[in-house]
Amino acid sequence: MQTEVKQQQFADVNDDVVQSLVETGSKYYITLGLALFVTIACFMFPWFYQLYFGIGAAGNNHPAVWGTYLASFIFWIGLSHSGTLLSCVLHITNSEWRKAMYRSAEAMTLFSLMVAATMVMVHVGRPWFIHWAVPYPNQMELWPNFRSPLMFDVMAITTYLTGSLIFIYMGSIPDFAAVRDRTTGWRHHMYVLLSLGWRGTDTEWHRLGWAYTFLAVLIIPLAVSVHSIVSWDFAMSIVPGLHQTIFAPYFVVGAIYSGTAGIVTVMYVLRKYMNFEHFITRLHFDNLGKLLIVLSLIWTYINVLELFTGWYSGTSTEYEQLKFKLFGFYAPLYWEMILFCAAVPLLMISRRIRTSFVAMLWISIAVNIGMYTERFLIVATTQSRQYLPDAWGLYVPSLVEISIIIGSLAMFVTLFLIFVKIFPSVSIYEVKETMEPPKKKEGTPAWQATH
Amino acid sequence: MSKVDRRDFLKLVGAGGVGAGAGFMLAESIKHPIEHLVPYAVPPEEYSPGVATWYNSVCGMCSAGCGITVRTREGRAKKIEGNPSHPVNQGRLCALGQAGLQTLYNPDRITAPMLRSGDRGSGSFTQTTWEDGLNRVAERLEDAQRGSGDTYLLSRGVRGNLDNLLGLFMAGLGSENLLHYDFDHPHSLYAANLRTFGEELLPYYDIQNASYLLSFGADYLNDWLSPVHNSLGFGRSRQGGDHDRGRFVQVEPKMSISGAAADEWIPAQPGTEGILALGVAHQLVASGTYTGEDLAAWTSALAPYSAASVAAQTGVSSDTVTRLGNEFARATAPLAIGGGATAGHTNAVDALVAINALNYLAGTIGQAGGVIFNPQPVTGSGGHSRQASYQAMLDLADNARAGRISVLIINNTNPVFTMPGAARFAEALESVPVIVSLSTFMDETTALADIVLPSHTYLESWGDDIPQPGVGFSVAAVSQPIVAPLYNTRGTGDIVLALGRKLELTDLMPWADTEELLKFAWQQIYERDGAEAGGDFDAFWRSVLQAGVWGENVRRADMPTIDPGVVASLGVPEPVFVGSEIDYPFVLHTYLSTSMHDGRGANLPWMQELPDPITSVVYGNWIEMNPATAAEQGLKDGDLVQVTSSEGSLEIPLLVFPAIMPGVVAMPIGQGHTEYGRYANNRGANVISILASEVDPASGGLASSATRVSISPTGKRAKLVRTGGVARQLGRDIVQHTGTDAGTAGHSAKLNSIPIVVESA
Amino acid sequence: MSFIDRFVAGWRKHRKPGYYDKLDYAWSMTIDLDRCTGCGACVTACQAENNLAIVGEKDLAAGREMQWIRIERYWDGEYPNATLNFIPMLCQHCDAAPCETVCPVSATYHNQDGLNVQVYNRCIGTRSCAVYCPYEVRYFNYHDHHWDTPLEQQLNPDVSVREKGVMEKCTFCVQRIRQAKDHAKDDGGRRVQDGEVQPACVQTCPAEALVFGDRQDPNSQVSQSMSSPRAYNPLGDLNTQPSVVYLKKVGADAD
Repeated sequence: MQTEVKQQQFADVNDDVVQSLVETGSKYYITLGLALFVTIACFMFPWFYQLYFGIGAAGNNHPAVWGTYLASFIFWIGLSHSGTLLSCVLHITNSEWRKAMYRSAEAMTLFSLMVAATMVMVHVGRPWFIHWAVPYPNQMELWPNFRSPLMFDVMAITTYLTGSLIFIYMGSIPDFAAVRDRTTGWRHHMYVLLSLGWRGTDTEWHRLGWAYTFLAVLIIPLAVSVHSIVSWDFAMSIVPGLHQTIFAPYFVVGAIYSGTAGIVTVMYVLRKYMNFEHFITRLHFDNLGKLLIVLSLIWTYINVLELFTGWYSGTSTEYEQLKFKLFGFYAPLYWEMILFCAAVPLLMISRRIRTSFVAMLWISIAVNIGMYTERFLIVATTQSRQYLPDAWGLYVPSLVEISIIIGSLAMFVTLFLIFVKIFPSVSIYEVKETMEPPKKKEGTPAWQATH
Repeated sequence: MSKVDRRDFLKLVGAGGVGAGAGFMLAESIKHPIEHLVPYAVPPEEYSPGVATWYNSVCGMCSAGCGITVRTREGRAKKIEGNPSHPVNQGRLCALGQAGLQTLYNPDRITAPMLRSGDRGSGSFTQTTWEDGLNRVAERLEDAQRGSGDTYLLSRGVRGNLDNLLGLFMAGLGSENLLHYDFDHPHSLYAANLRTFGEELLPYYDIQNASYLLSFGADYLNDWLSPVHNSLGFGRSRQGGDHDRGRFVQVEPKMSISGAAADEWIPAQPGTEGILALGVAHQLVASGTYTGEDLAAWTSALAPYSAASVAAQTGVSSDTVTRLGNEFARATAPLAIGGGATAGHTNAVDALVAINALNYLAGTIGQAGGVIFNPQPVTGSGGHSRQASYQAMLDLADNARAGRISVLIINNTNPVFTMPGAARFAEALESVPVIVSLSTFMDETTALADIVLPSHTYLESWGDDIPQPGVGFSVAAVSQPIVAPLYNTRGTGDIVLALGRKLELTDLMPWADTEELLKFAWQQIYERDGAEAGGDFDAFWRSVLQAGVWGENVRRADMPTIDPGVVASLGVPEPVFVGSEIDYPFVLHTYLSTSMHDGRGANLPWMQELPDPITSVVYGNWIEMNPATAAEQGLKDGDLVQVTSSEGSLEIPLLVFPAIMPGVVAMPIGQGHTEYGRYANNRGANVISILASEVDPASGGLASSATRVSISPTGKRAKLVRTGGVARQLGRDIVQHTGTDAGTAGHSAKLNSIPIVVESA
Repeated sequence: MSFIDRFVAGWRKHRKPGYYDKLDYAWSMTIDLDRCTGCGACVTACQAENNLAIVGEKDLAAGREMQWIRIERYWDGEYPNATLNFIPMLCQHCDAAPCETVCPVSATYHNQDGLNVQVYNRCIGTRSCAVYCPYEVRYFNYHDHHWDTPLEQQLNPDVSVREKGVMEKCTFCVQRIRQAKDHAKDDGGRRVQDGEVQPACVQTCPAEALVFGDRQDPNSQVSQSMSSPRAYNPLGDLNTQPSVVYLKKVGADAD
């Protein structure tokens, strides 16, 4: 385990980041190739099979018409809250320790949203008409149904995606410029385009600062509303188990929770494989761990609330749902979820655990598995036990669905792998804000002027 | 048939109800099954493309004889509806009737005459022409006439003039062996009526006007006699008018859908329902309701059937027996019926006689809401006299084994499937040198045939029918072809007439085809009734076809009275069960399934997909057991169990069933086919195969309730598909009930018949 | 009208599904549970009339029924006092239908006859309407369906055959309603008479348990039936304002 290394100089930051962009070893290509292969084999091919044969390739039936595709969709949207939290919330609270991580977190947001969008395409019965959900002028003279929470979804997620894209891009412009000045060949040309002629003048910095803060403040309510809206896909129904007022806060908390856990996982990987030990330190993991505990406690509280209100209501519908969730067919999954999301994170009360990279990795993975299970259970258990007992049924995901889940993860990894070689995955200029400025002029040729 | 002469031309010009012309024209223009949906460039005259034409006919899916009207578009049958003008079903139709379309368009139909090419039962057949097939059969029949053996014709139950035609044909062959065989023919009811009223017939049970129906085992809503008419009656008795709501009580060991609809379901020990009936009669007489001259004789005959004694024998509490008796006595229009398992015991006839006696004592014979006898059929035969009892079928098998049958002609009946395995019917058929089948579908019996001359489905055929039981007045209906024949098949009547021509029996059977036969036979109805209205026979015939039914408000004037010997011989002996109680602890109750009936519906995908009303099972069958008993036996819902009788065993899924007696297990009939097409084959098990070959001596019928079985686990779980979830309301008030006072207030409005609308161009 | 009044009037108008001030017809059905025998004739009639898929054993084992009207059964009590109740369940054509609000592409909406209509061509298969329906009467096409030749000859040409990915449900036999309305219009521009149009299930019910008609016509059979003191709606407290009214079964367990 590394302790603090030699004091980093500004130029070292540039070196490290540019190196991470430019140097690609065989390990990278193998990983990328593998991720791409798994995406195609586990996501594309099963999806094409499903397109040809129908949603029957999944395990859905009557009454369980929604399944893992929707659960995955919500999971990925949830994961996307990572960037928002780290980038925006912590920016406004002026926290220092976010600076090394937020770029990758924002990237996670972006790619999670993209993967979530593909999950919608996979979920829908006739995806070749999915553009009808977008309000564009058409010969049919039909608008989509704006009263539908799914339409709110479309608009919210599009807005969130656009906002996040602008946000991450805008924040990266100075870094593109820094890399532009240190690369040659096709990379240089690419970064010339991407940096939009950034010269680093005061005006530009001033504008960037304001725009950045402005967007940060804007994206926070957007993120809260996005996942509230996604929760309203369920909560606006009138069926038991889904029609609950707690859903919006529940989903938002769950999203931030799973997003933060996702950041821990990604940070671990980045740190280990991109040589970012200097940037991502025990301090970061410590703070993330504290955040996770708080979120875990809130999450646990909400779950206890659900159990309590279900029992307290005394109505057959709520009670049967509760019984089924806790002791029915999916009970093992429910208890696994409780274990991973409520019990295991309590380990992070110990500072030793919080500052242990490997322990945090495993805990964060466990949390995300638990959170995926939570989304799955919301979909599966509620549809199995609705108002009319004679219509009760069971849902078991098919191989195609499981394969697509794996494939979507591989798709995320692929996108991320491509990202780390194009975007500086650590924000160069912001990291420097956490460092002492160089005292001596040594070792820094003039042409390596830093930004 | 190849010339379009003047008569045919006139038919073509006739009003929309006449399908024969269309049949001829289309038959000429389309010789092969329709493969492409190609609109006509010049459509035939009878219809406009895009406009539906309706044709009336008679449903052929069970023996009730409901009237149907079929919607056709461009010569294809699209939807079967009940014919509103037919008094039996009055515009309504059951699920099996609706599925009749799938007999016509079934992918597993026999499409042309066939000759056996491999060993018998190997399933290898080669197609041949009608000429060849008919010639071969004619030759065999001639040989049989010359030889020592006899010709037998075993048909499904047919009535009307087709039965007459079959009779003429057999007479022409010099044979007396024309038999009908339907598994569900109520032999014991006929025998009971013969003993009680001196006449072997089925009366009309006027459920609609009954105020209190006491059913001993008869699943009148599902399959007993005329289920659609019974359902109509049930609905109207319940909520169909400004009268007090009818009350329904069902006595049976396992709840049927009639039991579910009943206000009270009473399980009585199997085979003791007749005793219960006598207990009710005892109470009725004791209450002073019966005031006939022979009161003393009845009182003494019924003396042994006090409530306490009946309670001891039936397991029904004496309070209940007394109450039932009082309710029956006090009801304004009580009616008792018997059937189902009650009619399947060895004491069936005695039990049904007891039920007849109960009706007599309540004074409902010939009354509205009671037992009403029908006038004689106006044309053709009522069909019962030729129905072969189980004993007769056993005798047939014996004759076959002894080599006394030279030629056996089978017409759309499947005894290899519907006879108990113990009768070894298939084995007996091995000794018959020539088996000819006129069946529409390959089935277990037709698979053993040597020559197959396939019949049309009822939707492609001419025919007529007198519904049995009737509705209290004279009714007759004509079946006409709805569509042109799909395949190279012919109407059963036409096949028989063709054979008659080959055998030079045209003196006896001079008609060119079935349609001509019907017109000839209906001449007498015309003279009775139609001639008065004016118009010639053709106009009359067209009007009958357009209405789909003919009737006259002529009721039977002289209601039969009860035979005086009944009082003296009143009593119900103990039922005989095959298999000792120790080795075979459960009484096996079998019943006709809602979708398959006696197995005939198993090749219809809609019927395989119709969930059983009570268990919601599809594509399979099962055996039902009481929950406490199952727990004792260590069996769980969904286990695969082995059911063993003294005659054989089968494996079947077990279902835990809340409304069945502990010592009884119940299994529906209909699955377990092996040769009946892709939808039916290798599904479930045929419960009839393990029934004991026990004959009810009083009627000759099969005592289907007399088998005892043992149930043992196989250790495996069954693959059973159920569409339902949890069949408990869990306090959610989904089906709500109200007090009985509301029965008089707030009834559903009286319904009008649905008019037939022939859509104009 | 004052501004507030106009606002409220406009709000009320737009709150109603389909935004109709007045329905042309208000097709409704009553189901008399005291008459229903559970025989299933309605189920088969509907399948025949509306080209419902023959799903097959494999898909049924997976739980993918295709029955626009289904018979639900509920036991009460235990042997020997067990009772069994049947209740047909079909699309209730709710005036405040939860499924209509949630479809993102408006593939299901309330038409001027008070019917909840499903537009197969517009459906993109998000299946949210099926989740939202508390009666669970919506059925999804998980596969393209096929009929073994020549069973497809029976298909009703007035009803489309749905492809995979599309949701379907009871339409009150809208093709029959359309035909009746067209026929009435041709026949001198009159209104459709009571009893002139019946969905397949209503027409075939052997116990006459189903009654169908226009509840806006006070003389129609269905209006009289709906005014029965036995009338109720299962899951009535959800206030979906269904057009299908059930009549309570009489006797035992009076609630």
